[in-house]
Amino acid sequence: MGPSEPVAKPATAMPPLHGVRVADFTLHAAGPFCAHILGLLGAECIKVETVERPDIFRKPHPVYGRMGAATFDQVASNKLSVQLNLKQPRGIELAKRLVAVSDIVAESFRPGVMERLGLNYEALKAVKRDIVMVSVSASGQTGPERGYAGYAPLFGAAGGLGTLTGYEDGPPTEIRHVMDHSTGLTAAMATLAAYLRKKRTGAGQHVDVAARDVACGFIGDALLQFAATGIAPRRTGNDAPQIAPHNVYPCAGEDSWVSIVVSTDTEWRAFANALERPALLTDPRFASAHTRWVHRRELDTEISAWTHAHTREAVTRILQAAGVAAFPSYTAQDIVDDPHLNARGTIESRVGPEGEARKVVGPPWRLSRTPAKLDGWTPKLGEHNHYVFGQLLGLSDEEIEELIAARVIY
Amino acid sequence: MRDETNAPLAGFTVVEHAAGVAASYAGRMMAVMGATVIKVEPPGEGSALRRAEPLLTQQPAASALFHYLNAGKRFVTCDLESAQGRGLLSEIMARAELFIDDTPVSRRPALQLDAPAIDARHPQLVFLSVLPFGAAGPHADYTAYELNVFHAGGEGYLMPNGLTLETFPERPPVKIYGHFAELIGGTSAVCAGISALLVRDQVGGQFVDVSVQDANISVGCFAIQRLGDGVLENRHGRSFKYGGVLECSDGYVGVLTLEQRQWEGLVKLVGDPEWALDPALRDPLERSRRGAEINRRLRAWAKTQRVDDLVKQGQALSVPLAKYNGPLDILESEQSKARGVFAPLELSALGSVPAFTAPFQLNGEALALTRAAVEPGADNQAIWCEWLGHNTAELAQWEHHGTI
Repeated sequence: MGPSEPVAKPATAMPPLHGVRVADFTLHAAGPFCAHILGLLGAECIKVETVERPDIFRKPHPVYGRMGAATFDQVASNKLSVQLNLKQPRGIELAKRLVAVSDIVAESFRPGVMERLGLNYEALKAVKRDIVMVSVSASGQTGPERGYAGYAPLFGAAGGLGTLTGYEDGPPTEIRHVMDHSTGLTAAMATLAAYLRKKRTGAGQHVDVAARDVACGFIGDALLQFAATGIAPRRTGNDAPQIAPHNVYPCAGEDSWVSIVVSTDTEWRAFANALERPALLTDPRFASAHTRWVHRRELDTEISAWTHAHTREAVTRILQAAGVAAFPSYTAQDIVDDPHLNARGTIESRVGPEGEARKVVGPPWRLSRTPAKLDGWTPKLGEHNHYVFGQLLGLSDEEIEELIAARVIY
Repeated sequence: MRDETNAPLAGFTVVEHAAGVAASYAGRMMAVMGATVIKVEPPGEGSALRRAEPLLTQQPAASALFHYLNAGKRFVTCDLESAQGRGLLSEIMARAELFIDDTPVSRRPALQLDAPAIDARHPQLVFLSVLPFGAAGPHADYTAYELNVFHAGGEGYLMPNGLTLETFPERPPVKIYGHFAELIGGTSAVCAGISALLVRDQVGGQFVDVSVQDANISVGCFAIQRLGDGVLENRHGRSFKYGGVLECSDGYVGVLTLEQRQWEGLVKLVGDPEWALDPALRDPLERSRRGAEINRRLRAWAKTQRVDDLVKQGQALSVPLAKYNGPLDILESEQSKARGVFAPLELSALGSVPAFTAPFQLNGEALALTRAAVEPGADNQAIWCEWLGHNTAELAQWEHHGTI
């Protein structure tokens, strides 16, 4: 298989989670991303919301600068939407009936809320013996900080990742949505493992994911270094110890950057030759990996002068042809325009129910026989009430109307 | 894990041939979740990551990164440049359910590690390919390290925001510490690999093409969503209008109030000062407009406060606040202890050291690290002889020829 050819093996089956149902009680970003991953893998995700407690994408987000609802929500795009009011006893009963016909339950309430609602793991196990439940929270379901409120930057702070991120002479740095979504991705990983175990043993499992611990996981090497040596790692900007050049360099054009890393002596020689600067190879300051690192700021100055005269694309082309790691600092526009990503299906063109076209992020993997897929659009609130309450749970239209009037389906 | 039956991947065998961080992390997480993971390294010094910073010891170089990424695995050596070495690898593949590999695409055919060759010999094996840009597409053979894939995924361009950006608005974007993008790639790979295991009985093995760039675009999808709404994000536009990193007298906290009641809690925490009681600031849109002014006030106030007091008092008022914890804070935190996220790892030169296990519990139990990484080939005898049935004379011969 050549690098430019698509994987040729034909798909012979449905997505891996075809036939798996997820009752998705998650809101905000981390929990919904977990269910989104399961949805991309083919699970039928039923997103539970109410008029009073809709997901964040349905509301304005002024702190973030969004003054209205989002027109599309990536992480709800493979899901069905139902309305269910958990403040009413009959809402709880219906939630249990939904769980009884599901394989996986996902929730991201503050720890203790599911218990208060009578929907904790023990209660749901009584409804569905082999249920796999995933709980996503700031600090986990146990421990003295279990009740702490948090958002992505605070998970990054408590878990140390934000503390170690930033310029050497500056403050710690906020880790943004990627902190939420990496928490969701981690939750999906553990949930898939638990579901695989359930398929083999028949036993369900409760997966309890702590977002601050997900942040700790990203600094596991630093934590080990400190525990073993007492040396606390510090913020180092774009530096990597003993590797230079290792930075982001300005290119022609406004706010235009390229990342360059030269790790080995072979790469260093290739780099100097690609720049047509043989003098770099005889300069004693740059004679070894260690001296290059010692003189990295001088090296950065020389490289910046070169990159500034080129586009990001030209720098990348020249250096990659020489076997040197370089890549543009991609904007969202660069990502949706990238032929590689469009060829892989990482970026897909989609048309919504009202004819609106947009680029969306497709599944991040290519499984040759059981491909993942993105096949929906952001559901309207309660769009699938009749399918779920009627077809799946067996309620009549009259019963559904009565529950709507009573604000149980709300 | 104390209760072995909780380990979800117990009973699975994974062969890992990984030079990079992403693929090694995928193997690591499978090992922590109970799989038997056999890491195949080149004979001699083994993986280059064994000598990668940060280091635990200089002489001999022992890497904290390598130990973190490889706890819980078995270690064999095998020279894939030789036919005999390739044959040995094929023998353990025949006993495994999943194979992790990050050999560059163009080098795979020579090592018989291309998808058709593996499928022909091991049709039931899941082939989990983990590469910076994936195994197909125009960039499949591009070289990349962490910094490059972080920027290829879109988050690199958008960092930093808030106080760091205000302090250094002209500097190049800053990376997230360590190997964030590659660990995202490894986590994404485990999701795809387990998915393929789920359907292995029905469809057999398959080729699973994981790209670290794709994984990072996926977790950074809000930027693409915003673009679809007509907003091309940049570092400056993405900053929260108020809140963020606050410097206290003895460290830093982060604060973020997205809901009205959280803002009201923050006003109480600050001590109901006159500026914050301005009725106009009850409106979230007005707060956004006057974010710079609010931050000036909050930052001046925070400098007189102690971190631990703020976090305790703030959380009691339901204000989302967190300390920017360092490694010592995390290791000693009551929360970490209660969750059991550190387990002792026996490192030969350093004794027992607490190491991070996993960010989740299963059925109320923390996961365990069964063993520390050992020297390249330390498990050759156990795997090649005791498990596969070769004899020690063969082993000696392979060692003599440099095959293992």
